[in-house]
Amino acid sequence: MDAGTIKEFRKFKSIDKYNTGTTTYFLLPFRFHQVNNEKEVLVNEVGDFLIVPIGTSTRIANRQINDKEEIYADLIANFFISEKPIPDLIDILATRYRTKKSFLDEFTALHIFVVSLRCNHSCHYCQVSRVSENKQDFDISIADLKAGIEHMFRTPSSSITMEFQGGEPLLAFDKVKYGIQYANLLNEVHNKEITFVICTNATVFSDEILEFCAQHNVVISTSLDGPAFLHNANRPKTGTKSYEMVMQGIELAREKLGHDKISALMTTTTLSLDYPIEIIDNYIENGFSNIFLRPISPYGFALKNIKKNHYQTQRYLDFYKKGLDYIIQLNKNGHFMVEDYTTVVLKKILTPFPVSYVDLQSPAGMINNVVVFNYDGSVYATDESRMLAENQDFTFKLGHVQDSYHSLFYGEKAQYFSKFWSNETLAGCADCGFQAYCGADPVFHYASQGDLEGFRPTSDFCTKNMEIIRHIFDLIDREGNDIIKIFNSWINNTPQN
Amino acid sequence: MKVEFNENNKIVLKIQSTLYSISVVHKCFYWYSGKFDIDIESVDNNLIIKMSNIPDDMDKNSLISKIKKDLLDFNTREIIALETKDIRTLLIAKAFANDDEYDESPPGILDDPIGFNPFDFKK
Repeated sequence: MDAGTIKEFRKFKSIDKYNTGTTTYFLLPFRFHQVNNEKEVLVNEVGDFLIVPIGTSTRIANRQINDKEEIYADLIANFFISEKPIPDLIDILATRYRTKKSFLDEFTALHIFVVSLRCNHSCHYCQVSRVSENKQDFDISIADLKAGIEHMFRTPSSSITMEFQGGEPLLAFDKVKYGIQYANLLNEVHNKEITFVICTNATVFSDEILEFCAQHNVVISTSLDGPAFLHNANRPKTGTKSYEMVMQGIELAREKLGHDKISALMTTTTLSLDYPIEIIDNYIENGFSNIFLRPISPYGFALKNIKKNHYQTQRYLDFYKKGLDYIIQLNKNGHFMVEDYTTVVLKKILTPFPVSYVDLQSPAGMINNVVVFNYDGSVYATDESRMLAENQDFTFKLGHVQDSYHSLFYGEKAQYFSKFWSNETLAGCADCGFQAYCGADPVFHYASQGDLEGFRPTSDFCTKNMEIIRHIFDLIDREGNDIIKIFNSWINNTPQN
Repeated sequence: MKVEFNENNKIVLKIQSTLYSISVVHKCFYWYSGKFDIDIESVDNNLIIKMSNIPDDMDKNSLISKIKKDLLDFNTREIIALETKDIRTLLIAKAFANDDEYDESPPGILDDPIGFNPFDFKK
């Protein structure tokens, strides 16, 4: 190399050398969606986004963006366009795509065991059938419980969750206890990371139960629908008021297990729609720093009481937005509070990682992330599937727990469901700008529209998620870094500095 | 695009098929088929879209404006989808390939001033 070459090499070139006004770029796969009256969002194949003026996507496709424009470098850097037919860094993009879908490597992680259908409540929105407290025929048998646990250890997932549901699972505490002990015994060989969760109404705790939970590091998930007037109306209990009992149960569990070992979940009924602020305030008063503004699911018993449980998705969205605005304002005022569903979506938008939330995944969470072992030995693709079965619809029954793992998880039914579980291939979803953040839910569409593929223009799932995701982008566009800081604190579950 | 407002709350749209493909038209009107009855036919070099079951109180001019915008958007989506079909297939093949079988050498010259050759090592 002679001196002249080195001199030329070291000399900085002017910006005009690089920005030639050229528009000869190549497109990379991306989609777009209108955010508000001025902006649209471009989303690439791995979920990276740019919020840009409306019409930018058309300008990009029609080669009207030249390299002198500021956006040109952003489009190159974020893999929306490339100066070569195949970008030099395509392997990086491929690795990022693989990362987004890495939940598939783990396969089924959440194993739900319905240990009993018995319950001491009679909630009008309950999605499963329930029987009175003394009908022990509705408890799972030890043989079926053992078979389900043995299937659980056949999953390739290194980290598993064993969740006990009902009815009220603690009415069959002997089965919960046996299940945890048997799982721990088998895990001496398998050495998986296990999280034990009991979904309980928190009204039947005893010293024995809580000592066992403390000993085995069990997490408690309970139901709290808001203030007493609302909770008691939604969750009636013969003889006593549910709210007072739940609050006593929560306090007892916190005392014995630790504050963070108990979480609460609310369900939005028609009555709840008018009280988003009161519900959030109630969660704060009771020491919770997160809330999931969760709509009711159109399954099972919930469908029998249309007046109390059926509402237009638009009414739910108004409730959600009002609640979200309030929670954001609380955070701006220095009070850390998280809305869980928004956080699920934000993790998809703002991080490169997948989110293990079974209702918003593609391929769908059914079988790929969750399976249900029912009290009668039936195995279902999702929790909602067994709720349909309570109305004698066994479409999503995979078989019996005594069947082979292969026939349950890779059998004909699983293969059939796979035709409908990727939003990349569904009409309406395939072109949607929010595809990377959304999911497919064949069980919901079967339950609400009668077919597994679903019809997007009238789908409540689509209406809800499309508007929630658009709303989040609208907030990011309007409030910029201020809101991003709050959203990142939710993702990290740590208050802002 | 020619627009006719008929009696009985029907709208008939006539679109030149050289402007928008049948695929673009289908994808666009899919989203209107939840609220309205949609009928699409191909006649000569035109696509005829008949929309019925339109409520009396609906602002039809706003509806037409939205349809025009949606057609443009779906046309853009088709341009992007067609032009990026192969690179998307390659991307997904690379993402799910085992043993790095579709990996390529990184661009540029790899070298080190102390003479270490990054390719000269034993696995």
